[in-house]
Amino acid sequence: MILENGFRWLTIAALGLGIMACASPQPAPDLLAPTDEQMKLRNMQTRSFDITDRNQAMRGVIAALQDLGFIIERANEPLGLVTAARFAEPKYFDVLGVTVTVRPQEGDKMLIRANAIYNNEPITDPQVYQNFFATLERSLFIGRN
Amino acid sequence: MQTRHFETSGEAELLSASAAVLQDLGFQISESVREIGLLRAAKERSARQYGQEIGRTLVGLISTAGFAVGANTLILLPVDLHQQINASLVTRPIDEGGSRHEVRILFYRLVWKGSGQSGDQYIAPGQQQMEMIRDPGIYQQFFARLAKSVFLEAHKI
Repeated sequence: MILENGFRWLTIAALGLGIMACASPQPAPDLLAPTDEQMKLRNMQTRSFDITDRNQAMRGVIAALQDLGFIIERANEPLGLVTAARFAEPKYFDVLGVTVTVRPQEGDKMLIRANAIYNNEPITDPQVYQNFFATLERSLFIGRN
Repeated sequence: MQTRHFETSGEAELLSASAAVLQDLGFQISESVREIGLLRAAKERSARQYGQEIGRTLVGLISTAGFAVGANTLILLPVDLHQQINASLVTRPIDEGGSRHEVRILFYRLVWKGSGQSGDQYIAPGQQQMEMIRDPGIYQQFFARLAKSVFLEAHKI
């Protein structure tokens, strides 16, 4: 009798375990919460330029990307979006992707943000973005003579 | 190599002439954004080369000889089967008034390999590789046709 009871409890416990195993894992409550990391990354990816014409700014972005050897893959004028990619030569297996957005800001300024991705990992080194913006500056202001 | 200047204010004409030239060269336009002068085009071709096939056969024969001795060293080199040639073209005004325009085009290709064998290891087909096309002849051919089609001289930088 005791043995039978014990067996019954064991079955119930096993069933319970089985049901628990079937439940899908719950996402953590802070899954999409803003983090300091994001803010830092956004700050280093963004810079504002003294340009009034967005079209001109976008053409400058495209020229800068081409100078850096990128293949322009997609561009959207109404959204101010440019997507480009290149293989990080001489290592042909590493892919370097960039998305640049150009947004008008209050006053005579354009807000330009560049997201760079290296092999599906966002680049978090501020130096890379500084390099890009230096190239962009050259193509925006010195290139037009 | 990738860039030419044209003394024209008609960017739209330059862009549509470029599209026509790419079509003449067998490309299909896959994307175009007139506002910022972007064109993308692609064409698909076979990538088989005699050299690679001969190499595959020779290496295969030699490794089969090793197989006869008892070593398990069958090697079949994967050869290039298929390629997609891509072009990305951008036009852009290069002076304040917009009376001169620059056309910059970039050609590159994606190559897919066939299957192969290395000892016991089977090499699955579909291995991909990408390379920039740096042959000046292809760029010259494109710009020569473009110049002819817009009745303008293409200026080098």
